[in-house]
Amino acid sequence: MLTYILRRLALMVLVLWGVTLGAFLISHALPSDPAAAAMGNNAREEQLADFRERNGLNKPLATQYVIYMGQLLRGDMGTSLRTQNGIVNDLRAFFPATLELTLVAVLFALLIGLPLGVIAALYQGRPPDLLARTFALLGGATPVYWLAILALTLFHERLGWLPGPGRLDVYSLAPPTHTGLVLVDSLLARDPAVFWDALRHLMLPALVLGAYSAALLTRMTRSALLEVLSQDYIRTARSKGLTPARVIAKHAIRNAALPVLTVLGSLFGSLLTGAVLTETIFSWPGIGGYATTSAISLDFPAVMGVTLIAGLAYSVVNLLVDLAYGFFDPRISFS
Amino acid sequence: MTQQAASTQKLQVFSRGLALALSLGLSLASAQSARQSTLVIGGDFSDLITMDPGVSYEFSGSLVAGNLYDTLVIYEGNDLKTLKPRLASSWTVTPTATGSRITFKLRDAKFSTGRPVTSADVIYSLTRVIALKTPSSFLLTDVANITAKSLSAPDAKTVVMDIPKTANPNIVLALLTFNVGGVIDSTEAKAHEVKGDFGTAWLKDHSAGSGPFMLNRWDRSAQVALDVNPNAFRKSPSIKRVILRYMTESAVQQSSLNSGEIDVAWNYTPDAFKAAQNDPKLKALKTDTFMLSYLGMNSAKGMPFEDARVREAVRYAIDQDGMIDSLLQGLGRKTQTIIPIGLAGSDPKIYYPNNVAKAKELMKAAGKADGFSVDFLVSTGSCSGGVPCQDLAAKIQADLAKIGIKANIKQMVNSELYTTYRAQKAPLIQADWSPDYPDADGNGTPLSDYAAKSLAWRNGWDNAAAGKLAQTAAIETNATKRLAQYKQLTALLAKDGPYAILYQPYKPVVLQAGISGFNRNANGDVQFEKISKK
Repeated sequence: MLTYILRRLALMVLVLWGVTLGAFLISHALPSDPAAAAMGNNAREEQLADFRERNGLNKPLATQYVIYMGQLLRGDMGTSLRTQNGIVNDLRAFFPATLELTLVAVLFALLIGLPLGVIAALYQGRPPDLLARTFALLGGATPVYWLAILALTLFHERLGWLPGPGRLDVYSLAPPTHTGLVLVDSLLARDPAVFWDALRHLMLPALVLGAYSAALLTRMTRSALLEVLSQDYIRTARSKGLTPARVIAKHAIRNAALPVLTVLGSLFGSLLTGAVLTETIFSWPGIGGYATTSAISLDFPAVMGVTLIAGLAYSVVNLLVDLAYGFFDPRISFS
Repeated sequence: MTQQAASTQKLQVFSRGLALALSLGLSLASAQSARQSTLVIGGDFSDLITMDPGVSYEFSGSLVAGNLYDTLVIYEGNDLKTLKPRLASSWTVTPTATGSRITFKLRDAKFSTGRPVTSADVIYSLTRVIALKTPSSFLLTDVANITAKSLSAPDAKTVVMDIPKTANPNIVLALLTFNVGGVIDSTEAKAHEVKGDFGTAWLKDHSAGSGPFMLNRWDRSAQVALDVNPNAFRKSPSIKRVILRYMTESAVQQSSLNSGEIDVAWNYTPDAFKAAQNDPKLKALKTDTFMLSYLGMNSAKGMPFEDARVREAVRYAIDQDGMIDSLLQGLGRKTQTIIPIGLAGSDPKIYYPNNVAKAKELMKAAGKADGFSVDFLVSTGSCSGGVPCQDLAAKIQADLAKIGIKANIKQMVNSELYTTYRAQKAPLIQADWSPDYPDADGNGTPLSDYAAKSLAWRNGWDNAAAGKLAQTAAIETNATKRLAQYKQLTALLAKDGPYAILYQPYKPVVLQAGISGFNRNANGDVQFEKISKK
């Protein structure tokens, strides 16, 4: 297993190198001038020339790439053209917010999607199944943007049940940053009021972000479970006199878990990087907004940084999913 | 337990309860008073990249810097023609053999750090901008023509600035009102210097100014919290803290304003603004800007707008009133010359009323009776006044179609749009311009002088007379003569220039009805210390 993990890690490095090359070439193929984007509409030509010189933009593309890779190997992702901050620092500031949102969204998706899928499979063709399938259809088809505005208007503005945009109330003081995850940091600071505030702020965006995933999980769980339930060993289990609950819990769910796990892995990866709209509407200071602003302002080093972290997140999640396969199905070996 | 002991215990329980209730009440009351003394502004502040007044060149950065730092002189409120004292209690301009000399006398002021503001701080602040080559440093080096050698301090409260003949002292004073002239506590900045950066890295998210507020904390992309500066001479009577809360979407700002979470909303769309105007719980303000939304017509040889008559035809064909009334819902003003309303030199004359027949005549005279087809470059986002650029483009397209010009809309992200424009490759473009400093020259030179390599150059419009006029007017110190020169220049541009001015937008700002003292001027400055909350 250790060899397997090491091999996968080596492969991951190769993949990430490919990502840097691809992202570098694509971002430099655009017919736009990053200096003009950074210095603004009114900037004079001499200012632009000076900016290019200072940021090494006037060097040949290959040289720029070599310099970039050299820095990267030393753990330096370069400096943002727009903010002139170190990219590593920027990512450290923005990534935890997205990670926290995504983790809670995936948790919601699991809490909603799995039971609904199981119920739908057990009551195939009957009203609970119909309801679950309607949810799956709606959840999959509703645009995040619309759902977010709707949720905000209803639960925040009209009913006042949940707080508005942002990670914390305007009057709450953020806890000292250790992990960047406000839920964890507030616990470390032993500040239950801030923890509660942060949790309430997480509800709406996480539900909105998780809705699509919950719908997809419902569908996947239902179909995986239906397939398993038609297998011979389930009939055998039933004929042995096991209660339906035991059959489901002991034999069916475990076997239906593999396809669900695969979907969950890719969902988590895509949520982590695809939270742009949710983050924009809920004014969530995460990587989504950072990526958009960076892309719009042709901030190549920042775009590269985001791409790399997205690639890394995907690779790590994939590895974890593959490792989890072994847990659910001992027949899968890693040798 | 004796009766006495029991009653003592009861008393203890009661007094503890009372204390708890009192403290709860107090904390509720203090939370209430925190709300009363905190001003929350929700808006799109994503352009904020630094709090350093010498580096910041963006709208949000200037807004914050204006409250953290003081400049020597300032324009107060909406009067952007009269210079007022700020850190300088007085100043004099005297002619010298090589140009002129401005002598500033400093008032007694203190930084938030407690140190007094001295002439050494002023000189440090200005020279660091020049040395750092910040985005705004060209204002000091190229426009004001000053160098580190131009500045001297005969004593701790006097600053002397020598400027050459090529710079107009009035313009120099005007641009010193911008945050590029913000005065930093030099001792504090030097203490945080890293590798000769003049404290720039530290000043990015810390403050060391004498303004009415100081920076408490900036959580990137979440919020900026400013606290009152106890040492400031500009006192805030009721607001103790100002929070700029990042909210990109207009819809989200509306929702937060309605729920009372924010006091001021910064970015409303015209439709949302119209609704807010009818809401008694809100105040909807149309605040001034110096921005101009315009059509740029490439007039270089071989380009579709080479013939001045075609450019004039376009100006006659554009229906400005329709644009302002229906698309902008009144969030714009009609003007037709290159200097925005509110600056000395602006010309209220309507040079080209909407007249399709006249426009067709001009097209015919130019030999283009059958019209032509042209690429029309437009930004993908929202245009000034909050209207989607594609709606504006569609309206212009329809207006131009009436005189036979087929404008093929090409939407591009701003970075690409301006790259094309800068390369003189935009045949027809919808764009905005905002002057760097509140003076007619902020528009006069870039829009008229081809040699300045700015807008006139981007539109391939090389008119020697206009360039000469702009240069003369820039350095003219006699106000009456200067106005006459700008009148001549604006008339020339209105007739022959490569622009069709579309409108001068207002910036909509919506507040809770209980907010008073709020004013945003055309420079984008808001004096937070003047605001109070009910």
